[in-house]
Amino acid sequence: MKLVTYIESEADLDQFLKAKKPGLDYELILGCDALSRYSKTTIDELLTLVNLAVKDNLPVVLEWDALYQEERFQKAKMIIDHLPLHDFKAIRVQDPGAVHYIRTQFPWMKMQVILENGNHNLEGLKKWQEYLGEQCERLILSNELSKEMLKDYAGELKTPIEIQGFGRILLFYSPRLLLSPLEKEEMKKTYIEASGSSEESPHTGFPLIENQHGTFMFNVKDLSLLDHLKEIEEMKIHHVRVDLRFDHGFENYLNSMIDLFSGEIAEISPEVKKLHPRPLIKGFYNINKTDVLFTKLKNKRTQRQDQNYVGEIVDVERDQQLALLIKTEAFKEGVASSVFMITPEGKEKTLTLPWVKLSTGEEIKSAGKNDLVLIPYINGVTVKTQVYTKART
Amino acid sequence: MSFWTPELLSPAGSLEKLKVSVLYGADAVYLGGQKFGLRQASDNFTYEELAEGVEFAHSRGSLVYVVLNSFLHDKDLAELPEFLNLLSELKVDAVIVSDLGVISTIKKHSNLVIHLSTQASCLNVESAKLWQQMGAQRIVLGREVTIKEAAKIKKATGLEIEMFVHGSMCMAFSGNCVISNYTQGRDSNRGGCAHSCRFEYSIDFDGKSEEAKKAYFMSSKDLEGIRLLPEFIDAKIDSLKVEGRNKSHHYAGTISKVYGDALRYYREHGNFLSTDMLLWEEELRKVSHRDYSTGSLDSYAGEDTIYNQREHDDNEFVVSGIVLEASKDQHLLVDVKSAFLPGDILEVMPFKGPTTKLRVDFLKTLSGVDLVKSKPGSVVKIPFLPGAEKFNLIRKAVRV
Repeated sequence: MKLVTYIESEADLDQFLKAKKPGLDYELILGCDALSRYSKTTIDELLTLVNLAVKDNLPVVLEWDALYQEERFQKAKMIIDHLPLHDFKAIRVQDPGAVHYIRTQFPWMKMQVILENGNHNLEGLKKWQEYLGEQCERLILSNELSKEMLKDYAGELKTPIEIQGFGRILLFYSPRLLLSPLEKEEMKKTYIEASGSSEESPHTGFPLIENQHGTFMFNVKDLSLLDHLKEIEEMKIHHVRVDLRFDHGFENYLNSMIDLFSGEIAEISPEVKKLHPRPLIKGFYNINKTDVLFTKLKNKRTQRQDQNYVGEIVDVERDQQLALLIKTEAFKEGVASSVFMITPEGKEKTLTLPWVKLSTGEEIKSAGKNDLVLIPYINGVTVKTQVYTKART
Repeated sequence: MSFWTPELLSPAGSLEKLKVSVLYGADAVYLGGQKFGLRQASDNFTYEELAEGVEFAHSRGSLVYVVLNSFLHDKDLAELPEFLNLLSELKVDAVIVSDLGVISTIKKHSNLVIHLSTQASCLNVESAKLWQQMGAQRIVLGREVTIKEAAKIKKATGLEIEMFVHGSMCMAFSGNCVISNYTQGRDSNRGGCAHSCRFEYSIDFDGKSEEAKKAYFMSSKDLEGIRLLPEFIDAKIDSLKVEGRNKSHHYAGTISKVYGDALRYYREHGNFLSTDMLLWEEELRKVSHRDYSTGSLDSYAGEDTIYNQREHDDNEFVVSGIVLEASKDQHLLVDVKSAFLPGDILEVMPFKGPTTKLRVDFLKTLSGVDLVKSKPGSVVKIPFLPGAEKFNLIRKAVRV
């Protein structure tokens, strides 16, 4: 299993090299503040890190994961054009524009393509794979995918895949600067960290970051799949990303992570886990059921079903009549002798139609789509009751 | 001589709203079926409604685009080919898509025209080129892109370009918000957005919760682009989209009418130097909205685009009802949406031209019983007004 992690500074690199064990399979992601979403590393610092990496023959990957509108994208391209790209084993990109730019301008450069945003079906992943071809050395998949889906994809895709194993879960990415307007003028800075809580949500303490790329909000609980590394490896997923950039992660976790990925320990000790400031969750790893509540978002009984549909009750005059807005051609050849109705509460009624009238009181034998007709009153029927010619089967 | 203008693309959250949007001036409408879109709480369209909607729109010269812009999971995708066959049979004019798996499935199973949804956050020329290679014929750009940038994207790719001109805004890059997924168990990118960005948050900058600042810091003002119509035209933007499939009939009708009237004026005159410009802006303020801004249309959205207020209702007008039937010289039958009284002065919005005032000289039930007040969710008779037609909106001033 390859440990994929971020290096932000020379101190990080030094610490990593001191901690790493023989046999550890790893890859280091280097970014800079102009190209990476959360990096604080300057371009000069990045160049220093790359030089050090080249000297020690370290496997380093350049991260370019910020999203850019056209004008900003032009500036990012200029930076990319001037970086020593040959010193990196690959570039990891997220914006489809970045994907296209690297594909067309640097076809020799290996890409790791971040597909964490959506991309929840095999059809699409295969299409990305086909489009990117040999240039793509890895697909980085969404943490909304369950293990069942991951297993399926790892078996079907030729391109190796990577998932997030540990770190913050990004919930929200805006290009707008949303925190600095709340800061005092004298406090204003280019990188702001804060936390947010809402009384309208049961969750408190969403970590927040504002920097030159905009504003980011993270989940109140962080992701950890570290207890499942063996299972993940058995799925044929051989790249797991560990993000130690926040919350003193390097200090608290690095040695344990290296031990874990080197196979020296089977799991992170409870003492180390306790050092983490927020609860750790498995996210959607076991199951993703984020569509099951959809059926409760609206009353299905007030939604028409096409079969045998006539229309909807739009007015009820107690003991007098019901007004039926006809929405189909069901009464075009002649009105039915009875109708079947389903109220918004789910009550089912059958109503005999001795007469059907226009709003003027004139009795009619047929009616067309969009006509408003009056039918006899029946107790228990309310507005939005759906009317059919027959009971539904 | 007729001057070129972009297409006006309005929302159709239901069959009735489709009719309202088309009748009030939309050149095209977008709508969702029962699945695959991003508005699970909307009524959306059954197959028969879709068939009727397409027939209604096409017979009046308007186009119909169907949203398939969820980030679909495998099991959703498996159901898609059958729906694509139905859409092909109905001859819808395009589908709006954000997921590459959906694009691939569409291309395998149909010849439907593909528009890339704003949900895919296409923001730059290179990105547009990639999606063009994938099969998109039109790009609905991310709402973070300026009109000038959109012009560059169009020039560099030759693609049709669509931009939002009016409506609610996401603060996040579209498709880049999963707050609902993790906090409410509802996939925002499959139609379950819980609008957590509209909540008030306490922001704690230094770990001292007693000094936390309360703010609606993620709530965006609404977009209003009517003053920028000349820029859209200069940039040759092909389509101007109005957000709002979940919004009211009043909204769908008013926004379609205002932008439709403005664009019609340009087609006839080649400019927007109409004395009606102020009237159009006034009309846009009569529908439910948050404070307006131009978002990122002229420059990247700044601090002044944050709404920072609780959601509240201080509409100048409310929709009183929709005309169901106009019996000449007798009465109008009105599907009541909000209460009004005998003696009230209402405004009837014709499909074209200025509103007409109507005094409620009588208010009766369908059986002719006098009412002292109309009740939402009922149908009432009020006096006939010459020129009033089925589907006309009727509204009432509630605040002057």
